[in-house]
Amino acid sequence: MEDIEDTDYVASEHDILVKAISKLDKTQHITEPTRNEPTIDNSEFHLHKRSNELDLSNVVEALEGTAIHVKIGKKLKKIQNKSQVLKKPLEKPQAERIKRAIGYEENKKKIGRWDPVVARARTVDYVSFPIKHVSNKLQSTGEFLSKLKLKSALEKELDEVDPPAEVMEEDEEEQTYPMSYEEMIEHRQHSAKLRAQESYKAAKAKRQSKIKSKKYHRILKKEKLKQQLKEFEDLQKKNPEEALQKLEALEKARALERHTLRHKNTGKWAKNQLIRAKYDKEVRQQIAEQLAVSRSLTHKTQDTESTDDEADNNEAIPDITLSQDPMNPWMLQRSDKSNVDAEFDFGYKKYLKDKMFKRKDNDSESDSNDEDANKMVSEKINSLKESIAKLATSDIEGSAVEEFIVDTNKLNKEIANLKASNNALDKKKKKKSIVATSNWIVEEVGNSIRNDITQEVSSAFENLEDDVANKVEQKLKMLREDIERIGKSEKPFKNTRSKKDTEKDIDNLEYLKLKNQKTKTIIDEELLETNKSKKTEDSDVINSAAKIIETAQHNTQDGVSTDIDPNRFIEVKPKYLNTALSNLDNDNDELDDDQVVPKVNIEEVFEEDDVVASFRQEKEDEAKKDQPTDIDLSLPGWGSWGGKGVKAPKRKRNRFILKAPPKMPRRDENKGDVIIKEYKDPKMAVHKVTDVPFPFTSIKEYEASIRAPIGNTFIPESAHKKLIRPSVITKAGTIIEPMDEEELLLQKNRNFSNNDVLRLLAKK
Amino acid sequence: MNLEKKKRYFETDPEVSKTDANQNNNDFEVYNIKINPKSLKRKPSHFKNKNDGKVLKKKFSGKSPINPEKLEKHSRGEGIDHNNVKHPLHAAKLKKRENKLNYAQKQAARSEILLTEQQGSLVVEEGVKTTSISQKTIKESVDIAAATKIFDLKLDFGPYRAKYSRNGRHLLLGSAKGHLAAFDWVTKKLHCEINVMESIHDISWLHVETMIAAAQKEWLYIYDNTGTELHCIKRLDKILRMEFLPYHFLLATVNEYGFMSWLDISIGEIVSHYNNHLGRTSVMTQNPYNATLCLGNSKGVVSLWSPTVKEPLAKILCHKTPLTAITVDNRGMYMATSGVDRSMKIWDIRNLDGPIQDYRLRSAPVDLQFSQKDMLAVGLGEVVEIYSNCCTQTVDRPYLRHRMAKSINNFKFCPYEDVLGIGTSNGFSSIIVPGSGEPNFDALESNPFQTKKQRKEAEVKALLEKIPAELITLNPFDITEVDVPSMKEQMEAKKKLLYLKPKKIDYTPRYKNKGKTNIARKKIIKDATRKEQIEQAIEAKKHLNLPTDQNIPKQSFGVLNRFVPKPKIKK
Repeated sequence: MEDIEDTDYVASEHDILVKAISKLDKTQHITEPTRNEPTIDNSEFHLHKRSNELDLSNVVEALEGTAIHVKIGKKLKKIQNKSQVLKKPLEKPQAERIKRAIGYEENKKKIGRWDPVVARARTVDYVSFPIKHVSNKLQSTGEFLSKLKLKSALEKELDEVDPPAEVMEEDEEEQTYPMSYEEMIEHRQHSAKLRAQESYKAAKAKRQSKIKSKKYHRILKKEKLKQQLKEFEDLQKKNPEEALQKLEALEKARALERHTLRHKNTGKWAKNQLIRAKYDKEVRQQIAEQLAVSRSLTHKTQDTESTDDEADNNEAIPDITLSQDPMNPWMLQRSDKSNVDAEFDFGYKKYLKDKMFKRKDNDSESDSNDEDANKMVSEKINSLKESIAKLATSDIEGSAVEEFIVDTNKLNKEIANLKASNNALDKKKKKKSIVATSNWIVEEVGNSIRNDITQEVSSAFENLEDDVANKVEQKLKMLREDIERIGKSEKPFKNTRSKKDTEKDIDNLEYLKLKNQKTKTIIDEELLETNKSKKTEDSDVINSAAKIIETAQHNTQDGVSTDIDPNRFIEVKPKYLNTALSNLDNDNDELDDDQVVPKVNIEEVFEEDDVVASFRQEKEDEAKKDQPTDIDLSLPGWGSWGGKGVKAPKRKRNRFILKAPPKMPRRDENKGDVIIKEYKDPKMAVHKVTDVPFPFTSIKEYEASIRAPIGNTFIPESAHKKLIRPSVITKAGTIIEPMDEEELLLQKNRNFSNNDVLRLLAKK
Repeated sequence: MNLEKKKRYFETDPEVSKTDANQNNNDFEVYNIKINPKSLKRKPSHFKNKNDGKVLKKKFSGKSPINPEKLEKHSRGEGIDHNNVKHPLHAAKLKKRENKLNYAQKQAARSEILLTEQQGSLVVEEGVKTTSISQKTIKESVDIAAATKIFDLKLDFGPYRAKYSRNGRHLLLGSAKGHLAAFDWVTKKLHCEINVMESIHDISWLHVETMIAAAQKEWLYIYDNTGTELHCIKRLDKILRMEFLPYHFLLATVNEYGFMSWLDISIGEIVSHYNNHLGRTSVMTQNPYNATLCLGNSKGVVSLWSPTVKEPLAKILCHKTPLTAITVDNRGMYMATSGVDRSMKIWDIRNLDGPIQDYRLRSAPVDLQFSQKDMLAVGLGEVVEIYSNCCTQTVDRPYLRHRMAKSINNFKFCPYEDVLGIGTSNGFSSIIVPGSGEPNFDALESNPFQTKKQRKEAEVKALLEKIPAELITLNPFDITEVDVPSMKEQMEAKKKLLYLKPKKIDYTPRYKNKGKTNIARKKIIKDATRKEQIEQAIEAKKHLNLPTDQNIPKQSFGVLNRFVPKPKIKK
């Protein structure tokens, strides 16, 4: 006992001692709690400090010694590696924020389910409340049974007289499916395949469309053209009618193309080339080709009536000076049959031309020209010979040109001479031009001799013609000189003679003319007279027609008169009617309807020209009245001299004269003798809308929205009812309950698929 | 000669309806039906083999197709492109509305099937002209009920003016010597007959057949159908001509001194009153399309007037001589005018263009009148000639001709009847003009068989739907258009305000006036005339028998063609 007391005493003594010593140190030490009890609010003093955390490694270190302890130590280490220390809880505001965010998301999802319901209700024509139409009234038993009644006596009797149609029960049809499962799969695969192919093609097309290479496109175009031609030829064989239709379509396309200005030198490419053309010959050639194409495209199809003349002129007139120049687009155009646009001419255009000239021979249609060309060559040579002979004879006959008669022998000689004598450059050029232009050079076949002959002949002719022309000119000169020299007495005779000569020569040299003048329709008056023997009516018609033609001719002669007065044209021809005459006017008046009324101009008593004139004057005045005028704000004489005849300086004019807005076209401007008042009616304006209401941004749409009436006087009653139905219909006397979640399950709400509206409403 | 029996609306003819049905059957049109996924899914199984006592279930193949022409007739023009409306909700709503309007259009086209009556006509043998058919023959070949519509009234009080009420049931006669009579001309039941002891210059029914307006020597009087004087309107004096505008409830008048006035008979107020400065003119008519008045003067000018504007809305120089008569057709498409120069012209009054036709007659017409089916009656002294289809094409001879022994004062076609009533110097005569009237009537619009109650209902309804007088303009659809100039002004004013974002608005109107610009019009004219000239030239050449041997194509030698001898052109 004593011991225990003693130790107690000692312990208390020791504590006091320790306290006293610790008091010596002035700092306050917080005593660590020896024991923790779970409390709701932790005192800040009871928090453990990190430094106090138990480090197991230290413990393990301590245990190193014995083998068993090593094992335990390892275990402990493992445990420590696996275990994780709980993180420090988040700060309160952050935690709250996260909580709110999650809450929002969840609620959004929850409410978002209603989006289609709301959106549907907004867009639908009308909504009727209450939504659920369940009749909550149950029939009472008695009521139900009262309906089950046997037939009355009368009904029975009636049934006997007229047995009611048996109510046929429709047996429930087994559901028929349009496709079996396999079929469906097959169908699906097929469609997938199609889609894939489509996408490939689309990709390909896209890729190809991005190719910028000109050459590629050119080749492509060519190929297409060829393909088209091939198809067309096939079609021609198979179905000529359709081919004809197609041809017409082509013709139309061509006509349309003629309207456009394509292939001119106005495009971007052409402009660029034009710049380069100055320095590059090749480019020049290209442009020339382009223009030639344009010419050929815009070449007017000839009327069948005038084809022969014009065709002759166009084809047969060689232009010597111009044909020398290979750069000349016009010449290229002329030679478009042969080489330049073989690519443009091999196709349907050729066919078209043939059609135009109504050639029936097939040789032109076939593409294999070789044999035909040979034939043609020989034919032409023959005809040439003939014509030479003719020329010679005619020359012989025409005594005036005796001096220049060149018989065929001479001609040949001269050809030889000329060949030798003509300077080399000129010849070259000519040959070149011939090669370029001739229609029938076929070197591949190997009839070069003929070719040579033809070349020679043609060149010879040209030379000869040149010669003749030169000689004529020389002769003329000489004659003139003679005339000048010789006295006046001889003059007339010689003059006439020379004139004759020249005329004849010119006749021969008609081809030297550059271009034919516009052909005019010419009317034979004699023919008109011959028709006079016909009925008067006919003659009348003809007369008027002739007049029309004459005026047309006149117009063409005058040139195109662009100024058109509509009044001159919209003249309705008066129709004379065989109306009855009243008895007051005439007694014997049973006229046959067929009898022609004599078209005597009635002496119009009231005919006053000034009625028209004054009306027109009135119209002019009206137009002027509405036209705003310039406002002159300048003060005359201010800063400069004023008075009559003094013009204000330019600066003043610019500054002080307010320009009136440009004249607006009046409604009656082109209407002839009609005046339409242009006014703004303020009384009407009150009724008119001056603003475009909200969802519309264009006047057109707004006006379209109010275009149709909705009243039942204008549209059928059913449509009227539909149009005026209110957007919300409520059943009177019922409680309208809020929607419940069953609404979400309804098919109509689930199927709502106007995503734009959904998005819009979700945003709100 | 074979005269077709006229079909009246009250005569049901089973044959006609049968043929009608047949026609309808033949009128089927083939439609291209788009294949949509729905139609792929369900293949209709029309026939079932299980036929043992069970009803064949046929699938409803949908409504019958509508004739596209009829559909086009009821079209109200291009609709809204809802893609241009940005707001998706409104776009959806507008689309729905558009669908409804389309439904209305289709429904209207479908309901045309209810218009069963057909227009009457005269069928004659070959070689016989319709003009040779007299009223006597018509009377012999029609049924008894129709035959009663041909009658003559011999009255003693000088030249008579006649007017039918809007439903065509009642007739009003007023003579220059003061005789005023109103009666149901079908049953010949007299409403009233009085002598006002003054000259009567013009008469008119008001909105119902119980009210009559008579322009007497001094003032305008209004009587009821028993002849009781209801009003004497002294503000309207010395009136020469009157026109009643039924939708506006306006009685439009012109007096001796050229004063024009519009009297609103529903409120008894003069809406507008001004002088037209044209002098005395008794040639007046209304344009039913836009309710403007057409006034013809002694200078041959027709001017169009509305109550709000004190100057003519438009003037057309029709003739070089004084005008004798004007009439405008029911749809407001054509106007016929005639002058002292014995000419008669047809004008496109809607576009204010023309003349479309120019006829020369053998005497100056006294009166002109268009029927509901665009037949034109022309009064020449004591002969009435009726021309059918004379506006769009030039006719050679009249459709009918009726000669009387008395001179014509005025005439009117009876609405919804094939009857022309003629007021003459000594009485009134009524003749039948087959095919002149509209065979189908809209009972809600004007009903010839109106009962008293219906009349009262219609009166109230018409009053509710009264159109204000300000809306009388040349273009009746003005009201459906946005007032662009004032809108622009407003927009400009708004733009000047600070801190306000201006609206972006596309100002292009719904109807651009295509082809009405100067250049385009000129071009059109030019092209048309050129084409005509070319055609005429070709025609003329045909007449002249020009040698056509030029057409023979010659063999071409290419370059060597120059050696081919040329035929010389005759000069």
